[in-house]
Amino acid sequence: MRAMYTAATGMMAQELNVSVISNNIANMRTTGYKRQRAEFQDLLYESQRRVGSNTSDQGTMVPTGIQVGSGVKTAATTRIMSQGTLTSTEKDLDVAIRGEGFFQVDLPDGRTAYTRDGSFELDANGKIVTVDGYTVNPGITIPNNASNITVNSLGQVSAIIGTNTTSTVLGQLQLARFVNKAGLEAVGDNLFLETAASGTPQQGTAGSEGFGNTLQRYLEAANVNSVTELTDLISAQRAYEMNARVVTAADEMLQTTASLSR
Amino acid sequence: MENASLVGLSRQVTLRRELDVIANNLANLTTTGFKAERVVFEEYMMPVARDETFRRTDRRVSFVQDLATAHDQAPGALKTTGNPLDLAIEGDAFFTVELPGGEQRYQRNGSFEINRDGELVTHEGFRVVGDSGPIRFEPTDNNINIAADGSISTVNGNTTSNRGKLKLSRFGDPRALDKDGVSTWRSNAPAEAQLPTTRVIQGAVEQSNVQPVVQLTRMMDVTRSYTTLASLMKSGDDLRQEAIKTLADVQS
Repeated sequence: MRAMYTAATGMMAQELNVSVISNNIANMRTTGYKRQRAEFQDLLYESQRRVGSNTSDQGTMVPTGIQVGSGVKTAATTRIMSQGTLTSTEKDLDVAIRGEGFFQVDLPDGRTAYTRDGSFELDANGKIVTVDGYTVNPGITIPNNASNITVNSLGQVSAIIGTNTTSTVLGQLQLARFVNKAGLEAVGDNLFLETAASGTPQQGTAGSEGFGNTLQRYLEAANVNSVTELTDLISAQRAYEMNARVVTAADEMLQTTASLSR
Repeated sequence: MENASLVGLSRQVTLRRELDVIANNLANLTTTGFKAERVVFEEYMMPVARDETFRRTDRRVSFVQDLATAHDQAPGALKTTGNPLDLAIEGDAFFTVELPGGEQRYQRNGSFEINRDGELVTHEGFRVVGDSGPIRFEPTDNNINIAADGSISTVNGNTTSNRGKLKLSRFGDPRALDKDGVSTWRSNAPAEAQLPTTRVIQGAVEQSNVQPVVQLTRMMDVTRSYTTLASLMKSGDDLRQEAIKTLADVQS
């Protein structure tokens, strides 16, 4: 029976929906995480009686045919790139971006990754790195004798060196932005990679048009809204149950048919 | 002829198909912009299976036939997503999208994306049609704003630039629309211009208009009718068997 398979596609879709929602909830406290939403589409239709086919030689037509759909499929898991809430951390090397841009991170394999997670650290040589130890572009080194590190809204990192009375600019963080940032591929570790769909990155500095500003001692929280996610979870679960009921109903009908013959 | 069995059978076939349609509705409970369907039945009067030798004429035998699947064009509930490229339509219009071959399709699913060329596209990669061709964004655009009338503006530098206006299509006769799968509709009739009351809402999507309670009730109805018919057919069969047995008994 077709109804069984149709309901099965519905159950599979809701399973995936629950997976996406649970990943959002799991990452509720992940810095710079962007939530995802599963998007569904109806599957192809079988025309039992085609719309517009002739019903007589005089040219009368079937106004609405009989179309039986075959279920649902997942079209996309859209990433919603809205700004997350900024939370104060009081740590010198925590930098949040207000706006569109991404920090650029040099991966050990030579590729460049993009992140909104600005919780940076210093490595043994005083270079600004991510928590995984990857260099943050363009690789700003802070000397041993530096104090009062500041990152201004343009991404300029400066510090007071030794006994100087004025601060010295040590470098400026490079940002990147994309035409279609929802098309970036998430690879875990709070990192995104460029894809054919995202377009090539445009590099620039904070404060220039469209890149957004940097904000020191703040981190961007995940843009997950727990109430929305839980509501979605409940409706996904109910939808799953209803599809399961269809399977039972189809099974009942099959059983009736089977018991007809002797 | 065993008309009772055949009439029952005609109904059972349509009931199975109705369950298929219900299953599809429930499977698409969370599909953006999905419109529920229902099966329309008609009575089919058998022109030949009647006998008028008796004083009171027999009624004509009536079968059931599924005539059409009708789409319920009622609007679905709006769900706020906060994504600037999620759009919903208030009113009976459709977004116009273009297939790779240039053919136009219509859809209520307004969850769009931007492709690498900066064009506004559907999840399938079909381009969204604007009043003057496809809608294209510049890489430096930000703050995409879509007004209630469908006109799109962005901030580029310190200036606001216009990126076109969504082409919304309307159909006076909703029966002119045919489902194409992948959220799109095809139309035999040409599209009409939108009504002035049609509004585009940014940051929200239209949910499926399937009402689960209605669908589940229909489903229960379908399974019960099916079972009833099966037992009816069985009692018809029993009757016949009984008759054969009884009539074949030689009276001593």
